Amino acid sequence: MLELQIDGLSKTYPNGVRALDGVTLTIPTGMFGLLGPNGAGKSTLMRTLATLQEADAGSARLGGLDVLRQKDDVRKLLGYLPQEFGVYPKVTAETMLNHFAVLKGITERRARKQAVDALLHRVNLYYVRKQKLGTFSGGMRQRFGIAQALLGDPKLIIVDEPTAGLDPGERVRFHNLLAEIGENVVVILSTHIVEDVSDLCSRMAIISHGRVLMSGEPSEAIRALEGKIWRRSVPRTELDAVQKNYPVISTRLSAGKTFVHVFSDGNPGDGFEGVDGSLEDVYFSTLFHAEGRAEKAA
Amino acid sequence: MLAEIFRFEVRYHLKQLVFYVCLIIFFLLTFGAVTSDSVQIGGSIGNVNRNAPFVIMQFLLVMSVFSVFTTTAFVSNAALRDFDLGTDALFFSSPMRKRQYLIGRFAGSFVVSLLIYLGVVGGIMIGSFMPWLEKERIGAFTLTPYLYSLVVLIAPTVLLVSAIFFAVAALTRSTMATYASAVALLVGYVVASAIVGSSLENEKLASLFDPFALSTFGLATRYWTVFEKNSQVLPLGGVFLWNRLIWVAVSLAIFGVALWRFRFETGGRRSRRSFAVSAAQDDVAIPPVILSVSEGSQPAHTSRLTQLLSTARLELKTALLSIPFIVILLLGVVNTVGGAAFADSLFDTKIYPVTGQMLRIIDSNFLLFALIIVTFYAGEIVWRERQQKMSEVVDATPVPSSALWFGKLLALYLIVIVLLTTAMLSTMAVQTAKGFHDYQLALYVKGLFLEVGLAMLMIATLAFVLQVVTNNKYLGFLLMLLYFVSMAVLPAMHFEHNLYRFANTPPAPYSDMNGYGHFVAPLVWFNLYWTLFCGLLLLTGHLLWVRGTESNFGKRLRIAGGRFGAAPKTTLAVLLIAFVATGGFIYYNTNVLNHYRTSEDREKRSAEYEKKYKRYETMALPKITDVQADVDLYPERRAFDIRGMYTIVNKTAAPMDTLHVTMNPDMTRSTVSIPGATVQASDKEHGYTIYRLAPPLAPGATLPMRFTASLEQHGFVNGEANTQIVANGTFINNFTYFPHLGYQTGGELQDRNKRKKYGLPPVVRLPKIGDPQARNINQLAAESDFLNLDTTVSTAPDQIAIAPGYLQKEWTANGRRYFRYKTTSPILGFWSYLSARYAVKRDRWNDVPIEIYYDPKHPYNVQRMADGVKRSLDYFTANFSPYQHKQVRILEFPRYARFAQSFPNTIPFSESIGFIADLRDKEAIDYVFYVTAHEVGHQWWAHQVVGARVQGTTMITETMAQYSALMVMEKEYGGDKMRKFLKYELNSYLAGRGGELVAEVPLMLVEDQGYIHYRKGSLVMYALRDAIGEENVNAALRKIIARWAFQGPPYVRTTEVLDELRAVTPPERQSMLHDLFETITLYDNKATDVTTTRTPDGKYRVRITVSSTKFRADGTGNEKPVPLDDWIDIGVLAAGASKKADGRPLILEKRHITSSPATFELVVGEKPATAGIDPLNKLIDRNPDDNVKKVGGG
Repeated sequence: MLELQIDGLSKTYPNGVRALDGVTLTIPTGMFGLLGPNGAGKSTLMRTLATLQEADAGSARLGGLDVLRQKDDVRKLLGYLPQEFGVYPKVTAETMLNHFAVLKGITERRARKQAVDALLHRVNLYYVRKQKLGTFSGGMRQRFGIAQALLGDPKLIIVDEPTAGLDPGERVRFHNLLAEIGENVVVILSTHIVEDVSDLCSRMAIISHGRVLMSGEPSEAIRALEGKIWRRSVPRTELDAVQKNYPVISTRLSAGKTFVHVFSDGNPGDGFEGVDGSLEDVYFSTLFHAEGRAEKAA
Repeated sequence: MLAEIFRFEVRYHLKQLVFYVCLIIFFLLTFGAVTSDSVQIGGSIGNVNRNAPFVIMQFLLVMSVFSVFTTTAFVSNAALRDFDLGTDALFFSSPMRKRQYLIGRFAGSFVVSLLIYLGVVGGIMIGSFMPWLEKERIGAFTLTPYLYSLVVLIAPTVLLVSAIFFAVAALTRSTMATYASAVALLVGYVVASAIVGSSLENEKLASLFDPFALSTFGLATRYWTVFEKNSQVLPLGGVFLWNRLIWVAVSLAIFGVALWRFRFETGGRRSRRSFAVSAAQDDVAIPPVILSVSEGSQPAHTSRLTQLLSTARLELKTALLSIPFIVILLLGVVNTVGGAAFADSLFDTKIYPVTGQMLRIIDSNFLLFALIIVTFYAGEIVWRERQQKMSEVVDATPVPSSALWFGKLLALYLIVIVLLTTAMLSTMAVQTAKGFHDYQLALYVKGLFLEVGLAMLMIATLAFVLQVVTNNKYLGFLLMLLYFVSMAVLPAMHFEHNLYRFANTPPAPYSDMNGYGHFVAPLVWFNLYWTLFCGLLLLTGHLLWVRGTESNFGKRLRIAGGRFGAAPKTTLAVLLIAFVATGGFIYYNTNVLNHYRTSEDREKRSAEYEKKYKRYETMALPKITDVQADVDLYPERRAFDIRGMYTIVNKTAAPMDTLHVTMNPDMTRSTVSIPGATVQASDKEHGYTIYRLAPPLAPGATLPMRFTASLEQHGFVNGEANTQIVANGTFINNFTYFPHLGYQTGGELQDRNKRKKYGLPPVVRLPKIGDPQARNINQLAAESDFLNLDTTVSTAPDQIAIAPGYLQKEWTANGRRYFRYKTTSPILGFWSYLSARYAVKRDRWNDVPIEIYYDPKHPYNVQRMADGVKRSLDYFTANFSPYQHKQVRILEFPRYARFAQSFPNTIPFSESIGFIADLRDKEAIDYVFYVTAHEVGHQWWAHQVVGARVQGTTMITETMAQYSALMVMEKEYGGDKMRKFLKYELNSYLAGRGGELVAEVPLMLVEDQGYIHYRKGSLVMYALRDAIGEENVNAALRKIIARWAFQGPPYVRTTEVLDELRAVTPPERQSMLHDLFETITLYDNKATDVTTTRTPDGKYRVRITVSSTKFRADGTGNEKPVPLDDWIDIGVLAAGASKKADGRPLILEKRHITSSPATFELVVGEKPATAGIDPLNKLIDRNPDDNVKKVGGG
């Protein structure tokens, strides 16, 4: 079983931003969700693992490979869909995917044709394979991106914010695709959409400000919140007061009403009712506690 | 709403790359043309100010033709953008009205198309401030001509082009159709201009309807003097105003049609939204997937090659299909085709488009566009993935960096090949159109590769590597711009060595006779040197190639260090050693085997020579009376040995105790030995030696002066190698390589600024006509009067060697061919040696053999030359004097120089001045015949009668040779053709006045000024002939010959020539001689009103009102009117037989005109077409085109 072992990975950009700060994670085979707010360092971590960026310190090992040094060997096992993914607008989907297949090393013509056709079918773009990529909608483009990431039977798949901009149907299709692949390989799914992780991932990590705030199995994390998440609907006018008085980890709308979730070991009273924690609560409570620590430290 | 659409449109285009690319191209072209003479826009600037209003107008006008492509890029985008982007539905469903939408879009893109011309304006403005330009050639800065030209010349043209292509784009909704129609329009324009041609009537028609106003401008400014060109703009009036108004109206009409016909709805083209995925399609069975790399992969090197080629293919395709590429390429093609069609024309007579010439055109007219494309696409290709946000995906694939990097480089190289192939096909199309089918493909390939291609590949490499290393697209472009500028500036600052001028090689002119000859070796070595350097560049680029998102330079260096393994290290070592070794070898050749001199070194040497020895210029010299010389030519190693003896005589009354000898200091070896002479001073650097004669040379005494002189070539040089002694087509003369007595004026610097820089006084072109001492020296040589030549020349066994004189003997010895030539009548001290593998055409005039020695590739006009010789001998022997030689020989020499020159019975003729002239068009001026007659004329005018070396001397040689040629031409081709020829002469004279650097002088005082002794000379002699009759002129010339042939010293001067002419001129015409020879006199004659009535007996009575002004000009062109007292032609012409032909005169009468305006009546029997004053342009008329007017009803 392949396993990705990240140990103390750090990276500071020339402008002083500390994007990764001693990230240590163990990512086993299967779907691994990486959650974090924008600017948390997710993309930096992804790019580093995808051999595109140097790290200042730390190591990452994939099986027996040193990801930071044996880049060429890692690339042979890698499928990568970056957050921002463009294409040549005047080239057809088939030509472009064919080119990617060549770059992946599938240089034998017949095999490549089969692989390209199969993937185009699989992401349901076969019918538009002769269309120029510039005419694709956002969802089609994203599916094309997945197709290229799956080229060459990768053992490590890194997908950065893949479901942004997809309609629900496309998202479901995409999840199925990933789930199918994720059984035997390492799939790292970076996202800020908690549902993606809860739907797909057997393991996850939350990072913020370049640090890993938690890692583990989502179910376990949710279990850990049992009896600690309380909910109440709040009139809009009282929201500020509630936020001041309770450890509010999130507010959300449901059927037009504003609900706040607070984290509390016991019932805070005042109309709060206990709810079953969701992964979203895990995420927000983790961020909430991290911020609390940061404030204390300050 | 309209304003908003307009503003959006302008802003949109100003954000597009195409705008800046066009702007920069326009800027660079103009900047180049203003700041150097190697880039030209519509002909060279000549001698007007580099920022003269005329230049501004001309540049903008010529560039306005390019608007066909630049404007199309903007307006078609404006019209089609919404369809292309699929935003059409968005727009058409908005509350915007069709009129607002179209007008806003159109106006916006029109304004942007116009803004491009700020590039031209900026090019001239900024260019004229460049420090290396001569200050005299820069006028004061004024904004008016720029603004005026933009509004009046450019705006209407761009409006028209915008309207046409906006309409085409809007109505066809196809970019490709729009571009196709742009090409069609331009081709149509060129064809129409060719058909309309150049006759007077058509010129006016063209003037009125030329949409680009090029002919309008050309016609209106044809005879502008330098002063006018420097000071005024073309006034908005007359035909010019109508032209502009017509086209503005047409533009608005076309746009109106577009507005009317445009369908403000989506569709019309295949919708691009029709392939939304339907659920049903999901159910299609998914074929088995082969996903594993290992199953589809190949061995590493095969795989890498496939990856490299796939990358190259994708990049190439993307580049070739992009709009900037197509636009720039089309511009280049148009420029090339135009240049090729008119290459090397003389008197508007074209040449056969031989491939060697086509290569030159590609070099001068296409290269700039190609370089812009290469520079621009180097940036595009290097940055493509990053720009498309695809780089992270590509960089994360296991493809080796080298495959990516070389694939991209290969794409750029393939672009270079596509460009060169396109250029070649363009010139081949011109060749085919001209019915020339000897394409010489091998020469194309060799020329394009050696001369152009390699350098372009290297520049592509540089552009590419700079993009990689700087990792900043615009910094990369900027550095390339710096490189291009440095290529122009370094030589101007006398940094000339090609060892530090990237991708530069010594010039390698091609000649059909000599091929690339000895220029190939230095070309190969320098190319190898820079190719190795490119290897080093590539290695650097390879190491610094950015893979991933790391752009920090320190990080990149660390990564580079990691990549710097054994293979790169070995490559670096090998490349470096080879580069240094090649450089060393080149340096050994250029600087050790040869003396490396910059142009500045040479100037300095010539200035020093003048400073040190000019004071001996007037010292008394012995004269050479006999020359014996053995000249051994070794064409294969481009060497020769001269062994000779001068017999020198003291013709003065005083003994001479010193003898000054000048020898070309660049000779490999030379010796001089004179009995009893000792060296008093020797200056090797300048080749000047002073001998003390003991005993002194007594008056009347003779001395033998023996000498040797050898030239050897060792290795190769950095600059242009010697083009006189070559493998095939040697042409050397005694001026350059034989020793000379005394100080030589020939090498003095002429440029005023350079003279000032070296502290030399202003140059004196010729001694004053009254200088008594100069009377004793002839025009050609101070060291001899007439002499006898006995010379033996040897050469390679497959070549023929020729020198003046008659062949006495020909033999072969030591595997070499020998020829001995001897003169039988005395010749001037100017002779030559030629040697080549010739074909010989033999003909005969009476008992005089005529021989044309020509290159077998150029048989076209050999018979014309022989005919020219015969007709000339006919006329000259009948009207002047017998021919002094027993033979006439014409010899072709390579195109390294462009002239024909007359030596005794021997006329070397450049391959570029007649051997490939295309005389198939019977309307064309047969300049081959003309040049031949002129050179044969020199056998009389120079070789029989030679003038004293004072002012006016070239009137005796050149003007009389012109007159002789004119008479022969007129007999052959008739008076009509002469009028056409003389129009060119008048044109050249009037234009030449503008180019005068010192002062114009009257013909009889001419100081070796070509525009006076050739051009004005033709006009003056033709007018004189017309006034006093051919027989009178020839009688005077016969007298001059009888008195002065083979005579001197003293030598004849123009005063004596004029005396003879005066003697044959009737009293009432005497004043004319003053006008023609002794002053600078010009006319402005004009027909102001012409009417006709039928007489009772069926004839036509033509009433002609004319105005006439006569001017005298001083040396600086200041003109003052003088009273009229002249006999001038008043005439009536019939209609021309064809559109091109001028009308035949029905009546031509000399009338005495003393006042202006004046009215005359003439009666003719045939229907008149035009009438006026001096209709055949015999006078020097500042504006010769308004002399006749169409006959109107009475």
